[in-house]
Amino acid sequence: MEYLASNKIAIIDLATRDIIEEELEDDLVLEKIGGVGITKSLYDRFADENPIVLGTGLLTGSLVPGSALSVITAKSPSTGRVSHVPLTLDAGMELKYSGFDYMVIKGAADKPVYLWVHDGIADLNDAEDLWGKDVWAATDRIRDLMGDDLIQVLGIGEAGEKGSDLAQISINYWQSGDRMGFGSLFGKKRLKLIAIRGMGLLEIAEPEEFVEHCAGLLSALKSGKTSGMKGIATMAAAMGEADIEGWLKPLTHKHMACFNTPVPTNTFVFLDEDPALLKETSVAEPGFLLTDISPLLTLKRLGLTAADTCRILKACAKYGMDGAAVAELSEKTGLKDPEAIKGSLPNLKGPVSSSGNAVFSPWAAVGNQEPKTWMRREAVAYIFGLHPIFALMAPELTEEKLLEISSLGTELELTSETLDEVIADITG
Amino acid sequence: MLISPGNRGVLASCAVSVMNNNEPCKVREGRRYPRIGIYTGQGASHSWLWFVEVFDRIGFFDIAFLTETHIRGQGLDRCDVLAMSGGDTFAIAKALGPEGADSLTRFITHGGLYIGSCAGAYLPLHSSKEHLNLFNFVPAKIANLTRTLPEPQRLREKFCTAYGCSFIFHPVREAVRVGTNGFPPFKQAPSLNAPLYGGPPMIAGDSAQVLAVYSGFTEKTVFLVDEQLAADTVLGKAAVIRQKMGRGHLHLYGPHFEHPRFTMANQLLADAMLWDLRRDPVQVGDNTSDPVLLSGEDCRNLLRDIKREMSNSRVVAVGLETLPVQWKIGNKVYETAKIREFIEPVWQRIRRLEKLNQLILLPGQASRLLQAASKTTRLLRKIKGDTNRGVDTLPAARNTFEALNLLSTLFLDIYFRTRLNSFPQTHP
Repeated sequence: MEYLASNKIAIIDLATRDIIEEELEDDLVLEKIGGVGITKSLYDRFADENPIVLGTGLLTGSLVPGSALSVITAKSPSTGRVSHVPLTLDAGMELKYSGFDYMVIKGAADKPVYLWVHDGIADLNDAEDLWGKDVWAATDRIRDLMGDDLIQVLGIGEAGEKGSDLAQISINYWQSGDRMGFGSLFGKKRLKLIAIRGMGLLEIAEPEEFVEHCAGLLSALKSGKTSGMKGIATMAAAMGEADIEGWLKPLTHKHMACFNTPVPTNTFVFLDEDPALLKETSVAEPGFLLTDISPLLTLKRLGLTAADTCRILKACAKYGMDGAAVAELSEKTGLKDPEAIKGSLPNLKGPVSSSGNAVFSPWAAVGNQEPKTWMRREAVAYIFGLHPIFALMAPELTEEKLLEISSLGTELELTSETLDEVIADITG
Repeated sequence: MLISPGNRGVLASCAVSVMNNNEPCKVREGRRYPRIGIYTGQGASHSWLWFVEVFDRIGFFDIAFLTETHIRGQGLDRCDVLAMSGGDTFAIAKALGPEGADSLTRFITHGGLYIGSCAGAYLPLHSSKEHLNLFNFVPAKIANLTRTLPEPQRLREKFCTAYGCSFIFHPVREAVRVGTNGFPPFKQAPSLNAPLYGGPPMIAGDSAQVLAVYSGFTEKTVFLVDEQLAADTVLGKAAVIRQKMGRGHLHLYGPHFEHPRFTMANQLLADAMLWDLRRDPVQVGDNTSDPVLLSGEDCRNLLRDIKREMSNSRVVAVGLETLPVQWKIGNKVYETAKIREFIEPVWQRIRRLEKLNQLILLPGQASRLLQAASKTTRLLRKIKGDTNRGVDTLPAARNTFEALNLLSTLFLDIYFRTRLNSFPQTHP
C-alpha cells in the first residue's frame, strides 16, 4: 500500500517477544478498505491467540475533517463479543504516523512489558518499574524515560493489572471510549502500556485534488449544523440534557478538540485552580479532561455536584477504570457519597449495560438516532478513521464523498458495494 | 581521460543537472571524480553536513571525513579537495596547529584545492593572531573587523566574536545578494542569493581573484546593526575569492554557497571546484583496513538497530525544540534545533541504505556507530530530564554535540563507502 499508509503490519508475540512485520497489501485494502474492516480481518486470522488488534482508518491523520480515529479490536471481557473501541484525542493520529498501520498483539508476557512504537520500530521493553503505577504516574514515567511529552500512551492502571472487567485502556491521563473492558486484556497479557510517537509522513496519490476536496468539506462543515458547537455540554444538550451546561460551567476552563476535528468534544475542568485563569498554572494537577458524556449524566442524576463528579472521574482515570461503568454501578447500588464511590473502585464488578449491545463502543452517542442508522454511521467512522461522535453530527461527511476522497488519496478504486460488504461483515 | 579545461564544464553541468532528482551522475568511462575530504574535527559546526548534502546530490561519493588528527597526519594525502566548513575559526586553527598548517600548505602547493566556507574562509586569511598566523595563505583583509563594536540591534549572542584586541562583528545574517564577475568558473550566474551566517566580507589583495562580491540585501536579510553600517561594511566587498598557491588553489566563501537550500550557489561551488581540480590524480592507496560487505539479514538487522537509536534520539530532539534552551560552546551559540541538524542527514539516508540492502563498512565500525547512537540518545534524554528539573545542561550539551558529530561522521562514512561501491567512480 503506497499511499495514505506506512505499509506495515506488526505481529507482536508477547510470549516469545518475536515481532514480525508484514506489508499492507493493496488487495486487503481493496477488500476491507481499512480501520475496523482490517482489524476485524486480522482478529479473525489470529483469533485462536486472543489477539488485541490496533489499527488506523484509511483517512486517519489526513486533512479530512474529523480524521482523528484509530481503533482497537478484541474480544470484550464484558460482553464476550468481538468489539471495537475508539482511540481519539491525538492517539489515533499518532498511531497513523508511527510507521505501522496495524498491530496485532498476541500471547501473554511472562513479566510486565511495554511496547514502544516509533518510526516503524516496535520495541518490547521490561515494565517492572511501571507495573503498579497508576495511569497518570505511568504516563509521566514513560514520557520522562523517552524524553518527549508528546508521546501518546495507551495504558492501564491498577484495575487492568488486577484483571477487572471494568478496566479501561486510557489515552494518556484521560478516559477513553473503551467501554468494553479491554484494559483487563492488557493486564492479563502483562502489557502495561503502549507508547506511541509518530513522526512519519504519508504520501497522497493525488495531493492537489485530495486537498481541494478536504477544503471543500471543511467549508461545507463551517456552514453546517456543527458550526459553533463546542464542549462536552453541547454533546449532552444534543441528547436532551441541556441543563448540564450550567452545572459544569463554574468549572469549565477550556474545550479541546481531537486531532483535526472541527468540533471540540472534550472539556477541561479546573478542580484545584481558578477556571478563569489564562496564564500557565503552577498547580501540578489543576483539573481533568472530560471525554465521556455518559458518566456525567449518570452521576448528575444521582445528585452529585459537578466538582464531586469530576473528582470521581479523575479517580477512575488514575485507577484505569471505565467511568461510565462506575457511574452505572453507583446508581444501581444507590451509592451517592463521592468518597465512598472512589473507595469502591477496587471491588467493583459488573455486569454493566454501559458496554452496550453492539460491536461498537456506545461511547459515541449523540441525539436519538435509530440503532440501525447509528450502527452504519459508526461503521463508516471506524472504517475511514473519523471521530465517531463528530461523524454522527456531520451529515456532510457522506459515504460517497469519503469513498471519492479515499480513491484520490490511495489511487485505489473503492466502491460503495465494497463498503456495504465491509459494513455487513463487521456488524453482521 | 583526465579532466581538462575543455571537459570540466561537461562534468560540472552533468553534476549540477542531477541535483534535483537525487540520482547520481552516470559515470562515463575514464571520467575523474574528486576525492573530497570534509573537515569534521574540533571547531567545526554542523555546517559540514551542508557540504555532505551538496556532494551527495551531485553524486560525489568519494568522501573522507577528516579530523584535526587526520589532517596533522596523512589524511589529506589521498584527497583532491578539502572542504572546511563553518564553525569556530580559532578552535580549528588551534586544533590543527603547526603540523596541520604544514599539511595544508603541502596539500595545496602540491595541487590540492582548499574550499573554505565561513570559518573555513577566515582561517587562511592573513592574521597576526596566535594559531591563526600559521595559516597566512591568502592576502586579504577582513572587512568586518573593528576595535570599537557598534550597538547590536538584535541577536546579541550571535553578533560578534573576540579577535585578539579587536572584534569580528556580523552586520547581517540570512540571505544576501551576491554578484559574480562574469568570468569562469562563475560565468553561469550574474547574481544569486546565498546565506551569510557570520562569514567574512573580504578585501582581496592583488594576487587574489575576486569571483563574487556582496551586491545587495534581500527581504530575508536580518540586520544585526544599523542598515547603513551594514551596507558600508558588506556591500562591494569580496564574497568569494580564488587564490592560487603553488600548484593548488584556495576558494574562500563568505556566504555559505554549500547551503542545500541555495541550489544556484551550490552549482557555482561545484563548477568552481571542478574548474580547479588538480589534473594529476593522487596515487596514494587507502591504508585503512579492508572494508567488509554486509548484506541480507545482517544488513537489515544493523540498519534496524541504527534506525531504532536514531529514532529514539530524534523523538527527544523534537521534544527539546519546544524548550527555550541554548548553550554557548566555545565561541558558538547552539540552539536545540541544531541537534536535528545532525540527526536528519543521517535519518534521511537510512532509507536509501535500506533500499540498497547492503553496507560497506570497516571492521568495528558498526559497533562504534551503535555505541555513539546509544550514547547520543542517553545524553539527549539527560538534557531533557535535567531541563525539566532546572539542572544546568551545558556539560551534557557539550558531550551531546561531540557524540552527534561522531555519530554522523561514522554513519556517513559507511553511507558514502556503500554508495561509492554501488555507483563506482573511476580514478584513472
